[in-house]
Amino acid sequence: MRIVRKGLIGIFVLVMASFLCGAASAAEPIKVGVVLPLTGSMAKFGEIERRSFEMALEEINAKGGVKGRKIELVFEDDTGKPDVGRSAVEKLISRDKVPVVTGGYSSAVVAAAAPVAHQLKVPFVICTGAADDVTEKGYEYVFRINPTASEYPEATKSFLKGVAKVKTAVILYENTQFGQSSSKAFEEDCKELGIQVLMKEGYSAGAIDFKPLLTNVKAKNPDLIYMVSYVLDASLLIRQAKELDINPKLFVGGAAGFTLPEFQMSAGPAAEYVFSATLWTPNLRDKDYPGAKKYFDNFRARYKSDTEYHGAEAYASMYVVADALKRTKSFTPKDVRDALAATNMKTAFGPVKFISYGKKTQQNKLPTYLVQWQDGKLETVWPKDVATKKALYPTPKWSARK
Amino acid sequence: MKKRLYPLILLAVLAGFPLVVEDNYYQHLMILFLMWVVIGSAWNMIAGYTGQVSFGDAAFFGSGAYAAGLLAHHLHVSAWWGMAIGGLAALAVGFPFGWICFRLRGAYFALATLALNEVLRHGTTIAESFTRGMLGIMIMPTFVSKVPYYYIALGMAVVSVLSVRLLIRSKPGYYFVSIREDQDAAESLGIDTHFYKMLSLAFAAFWTGMAGSLYMNYMGFIDPHVVFSLHDISIMAILVGIVGGVGTVYGPTVGAFIMVAVQEMFRSGFFGLFKFLAETTGSESVRALADVLTKGHVLGFGLLVVLVILVLPNGIVGDWDKIKKKVFRIHSPA
Amino acid sequence: MDVFLQILVAGFLKGGLYALIGIGMTLIMGVMGIINLAHGQLMMVAMYVTFVLHSFFGVDPYLSLFVAMPALFLLGVVIQKYLLNPLIKAETILPENQVLMTVGIGMVLTEVIRFIFKSDYKSVTTSYTGATFFLGSISFSWALVVAFGIAVAFTVAMFFFLIKTDLGRSIRATAQDKDAAILMGVNTRRITVITFGLGTALVACAGTLLVPVYYVFPDLGGPFTAKAFIITILGGLGSTVGAIFGGVTLGLAESLGATYLGMEYEDIVGLTIFVLVLLFLPGGFKRLTKV
Repeated sequence: MRIVRKGLIGIFVLVMASFLCGAASAAEPIKVGVVLPLTGSMAKFGEIERRSFEMALEEINAKGGVKGRKIELVFEDDTGKPDVGRSAVEKLISRDKVPVVTGGYSSAVVAAAAPVAHQLKVPFVICTGAADDVTEKGYEYVFRINPTASEYPEATKSFLKGVAKVKTAVILYENTQFGQSSSKAFEEDCKELGIQVLMKEGYSAGAIDFKPLLTNVKAKNPDLIYMVSYVLDASLLIRQAKELDINPKLFVGGAAGFTLPEFQMSAGPAAEYVFSATLWTPNLRDKDYPGAKKYFDNFRARYKSDTEYHGAEAYASMYVVADALKRTKSFTPKDVRDALAATNMKTAFGPVKFISYGKKTQQNKLPTYLVQWQDGKLETVWPKDVATKKALYPTPKWSARK
Repeated sequence: MKKRLYPLILLAVLAGFPLVVEDNYYQHLMILFLMWVVIGSAWNMIAGYTGQVSFGDAAFFGSGAYAAGLLAHHLHVSAWWGMAIGGLAALAVGFPFGWICFRLRGAYFALATLALNEVLRHGTTIAESFTRGMLGIMIMPTFVSKVPYYYIALGMAVVSVLSVRLLIRSKPGYYFVSIREDQDAAESLGIDTHFYKMLSLAFAAFWTGMAGSLYMNYMGFIDPHVVFSLHDISIMAILVGIVGGVGTVYGPTVGAFIMVAVQEMFRSGFFGLFKFLAETTGSESVRALADVLTKGHVLGFGLLVVLVILVLPNGIVGDWDKIKKKVFRIHSPA
Repeated sequence: MDVFLQILVAGFLKGGLYALIGIGMTLIMGVMGIINLAHGQLMMVAMYVTFVLHSFFGVDPYLSLFVAMPALFLLGVVIQKYLLNPLIKAETILPENQVLMTVGIGMVLTEVIRFIFKSDYKSVTTSYTGATFFLGSISFSWALVVAFGIAVAFTVAMFFFLIKTDLGRSIRATAQDKDAAILMGVNTRRITVITFGLGTALVACAGTLLVPVYYVFPDLGGPFTAKAFIITILGGLGSTVGAIFGGVTLGLAESLGATYLGMEYEDIVGLTIFVLVLLFLPGGFKRLTKV
């Protein structure tokens, strides 16, 4: 039992030592904080983003870092929960003394962490969390690279205006922050386009059987079915729409799940002809999206798995942060913030410039795209000038498919 | 004599803490700890003393948080006013809650509380136009510094623990315990068990609701999944109670400290200890171990829960004598 | 009318799977008198077993029943023997320690699976995944029809096992009155271990049957645990026939609620029925059927 006691004391000493070791860091590299969901149900995307951050970091450091100093990333796991995310940001700012924090996947985490950054006056560069109101509160230290949830359907809107002139629509969405806000935005877009919304209904993610919902949809017989869903809800919806033989003129996904390879894998041939909004594709033009394709290929070669727009957001954020660190007068959070505010650069995720418009402040504005699954591949179909394939419209009936 | 001094020493340490430790991060953890003291003490009253194991504490927590949040959102007044009504809102939820659940006993009671909390969570999500659904409610925290929150939380924790102490040493307290030990016997002795169970629940609901509105004010953001969470609130409350020791006055305090500390310890890889070791030793195996530990932190937490229940079924305070005997080889005078 | 019939069919087929999940839970709850809050998580583990067998060895999900069920039976036995039974001895104020232990076990199972497979969404696509046949204008999913058939077969088998065999009788005796069973010479410890194993094997069966039409994800246990206890309370503790009624009722209620109230009310409908049954029909359908 003496051993147990000694062991306990040992553990105590180690823990105490660990309390102190954070403070005793070498002055050499510049630390940048990153909050991401590395465990928990969102860990899949957290992992893609972490890898993208690391890839960008290595490229930057290989080119000499910033001002002769290397950058070091301090990752904190937010587990996808707002209170944990807040703890993580607090820790990064007050213990690791980072001059800038980036990352932020879940909208809820971002919403809870942004006021912390604002109050502690350390810049927070959000790369994914899309809740509209985060950049509507006038937080001086909060920047966002990705478009807000309400802007995701922009390309869909112009496609509906230009090509698919439908009359009626049904909107289905998962009951999450992202689902509720982007479905609301699309409903307004429909109003603007004169499309009659026959039905707008939410569901809780993870349902086994969407037939009750889809049977109602079938009875309404809409021209367009717009769905905001994550990967496997998305594939279940499409599979069961096929089972029930629902034939609208087009299925459109509102980003999130519909662009991932898992969607195609799980939905199989049912995925064909499905459209989806997206923020990024690897084959965008180099003029505005320098390195997009290269990033995509490198990621694949290195990690033997696919990446998508979330990864590109993370990859670009690293470059934006590094760019600001290069231009800043000193490494105090205040100066870094000022440097970030003056950002005007092109990244693999598109041009980045933090502007104010409408109620929003320090928000990057980017165009969005429409993609479609054709022959098992995701092809960009809209806007026309970046399209890789022509959009297949209208969608053939299930019975007319092979 | 000495034993009576412990709580006072603890209080003095806690009161002085933010003056000594100015690090935001530790202050933040301490605020969470104090909040869990309040919730844990409340749960301990209904479950530990009255024997009605509730799996639905989040219902009260969420009601308190939403009372504050909705007040701020709809009437544009400070969410601090919510502190005044948060506990009352939870009480208002508690009455129908008790009315439904107290017809049931044991496992059935636990399941009913769990189900009602789920109903509230779904309801809040669906009632988008009133609650903003999953968009959540976001307010600007009033203070930049953590110190005011710390002292408010400390005040709440102290008052809640003291009120537990007072209550269990009064007549209702003895009735609570008699209901826990044998409800039928208590009934046959003429105790209005329904009334006393309701009283106990009201106490629990009130304090949990207060903690909820503190959470709203402090965190500045809530959504239905966060505040009505089965795992993160209801079960965490139970764990705080169980780890510390059910049916003891200071059990939840010990439990709250351990749970908050351990959770954060696992999440941050023992506060970066392993990463530090990996960097100083430069050893690949230590680095791999650090990697595994950070990735599996929730697993570690889960294993710890299993272990505590196996080894210390009465919690740390409840099994203190056992711990003293086994680990420190101190035999308390029988 | 078409809508109504289609929903009835969908709810009924889903109810078959629910019944299978419920039977496992009802055995455990009936015999041990505790809620098993790791039930859905155990199902999730079975689904991963099926997934691994399919994607690495090309085993058809229906064949993998023969692996998944015994494997989960063993896992259940180990859990009961080494984690839950020791708690009976411990002197505690609250008897709920076992329930909390199952919470801990559920967490550990989820995280172990997440550790191995990451939070990736996996799915098993077979030739019959999206296959349907139509009766009139009503669509039937092949996979769900087969699952329903297997579920019914297992339920009937379980029913006769409990009524006719010695072991089955011992299990029922333990469920009815533990002390009396001990006096009659039943080794209740062994019975609890076997029951837990059986319950897990049954939920493993449900999980495996669900794989072709659903997907696999570490976090999917929780919602199914909730469904399992709703079914159990609807049916009455320890009653297999009750569990079938409970499962089908829940399936139908969810589907009808989702259609006529809205998909977001799906879960609320189930929970409301649950609370109503607790209040007005404590003991569930068992009280009505007496089986």
